[in-house]
Amino acid sequence: MRIRTAFIGALLAVVVSLGLATPAGAAESIGSCVLEVGIEGAERIEAGEPESEVLDDLESAAERCIEAPNPILPELNELIWVTLAFGILAVLGLKFAYPAVAGAMDARTERIRSDLEAAEQAKLTAEAEAEEYRASLADSQGEATRIVDEARAAAEALRAERAATAEAEAAEIRSRALTEAEAIKAQALADLRSEVASLAVGAAEQVVQRNLDADAQAELIENYINQVGSGR
Amino acid sequence: MAEERVASYADALFSVTRSEPERHRIEHELFQLARALEGNEELRTSLADPNIPLPRRLQVVDELLGSGGHPVTVGCVSLIVAGELGGRLPAVVDALVDHSARSAGREVAIVRSAIELTADQQQRLAAALATSLGREVDVRVVLDPAVLGGIVTEVGDTVIDGTVRHRLNQLRDAF
Repeated sequence: MRIRTAFIGALLAVVVSLGLATPAGAAESIGSCVLEVGIEGAERIEAGEPESEVLDDLESAAERCIEAPNPILPELNELIWVTLAFGILAVLGLKFAYPAVAGAMDARTERIRSDLEAAEQAKLTAEAEAEEYRASLADSQGEATRIVDEARAAAEALRAERAATAEAEAAEIRSRALTEAEAIKAQALADLRSEVASLAVGAAEQVVQRNLDADAQAELIENYINQVGSGR
Repeated sequence: MAEERVASYADALFSVTRSEPERHRIEHELFQLARALEGNEELRTSLADPNIPLPRRLQVVDELLGSGGHPVTVGCVSLIVAGELGGRLPAVVDALVDHSARSAGREVAIVRSAIELTADQQQRLAAALATSLGREVDVRVVLDPAVLGGIVTEVGDTVIDGTVRHRLNQLRDAF
């Protein structure tokens, strides 16, 4: 379609050039025409024809020479040569230039199509990569969120564990302190009781020693013998 | 080895004393000397010290028993010291006394008192112990002022405590 359009365009260009070339060709025909008319008039005068008649004819002939040619149709000979040249050029163009131009156009078309396809492919690849990047970004954000959540949960668990440990240690310290206080209190009471007992027993021992004379000793021995003998 | 030597010496001494008419006096003197040595570690160590010449240690034995000691008692102690068993003299004497009592079908009753018991008291106490324990005993009295008053008797693993010290200890424990 484009080739046909180009061909028609080229044909119109030739016709226009022929039409525009017409004035130049006409100018050249007028000169030759006037020259021929002049030569013909000179020959008629030399031949003895009346000069006034010859001049009138020359004037008429010159007027015909200088009449304006057809602005559309050139001279027939030009038209033939031009048509012949055009035909030759058209044949040569169709045989040699057209395949090259058509090949170049096809190659260019193919290259453009290939470039468009490559661009499309690149666009698709870029979009895929962008989608992949967005997905990866979403995954990264999800992973980051999960890591933060896990870190927060771990920190909370650690805090709770340490709090429980500290509470247990505090309870143990309180219990141990209470136990130690009770032990100290019990030991103090025991020491006090022992001291009181020692004082009391020591005092009793002194009293007993003062009162244990020979008669008391003999009485204790007799009582012992009697108790052992009675089986008590 | 030392225990075997103690038992051998006790058997030998029993063979010597069993035929003596004053066997009970000899055993009593040996028993009192053993109790005295039990309460005096320095004296017991001196009798066992090999660095002290034997004549000097035998002189100490003579001084301990004095002129009132039975000659057989002095001979027995000298034999023990000469046999390098001066430090184990209480153990040898206890084994001798126990052997002597068992040979007569009796057991040794160690009686601790703040004062000396009369012969009558010792006989009545032996009879009372025989009644209470169901077996005859030989009473060996040990003077021990720490009991303050009363008597404590040990027969084997049996202890019958009637001392003032025991009652004071009970009072202390009651606090």
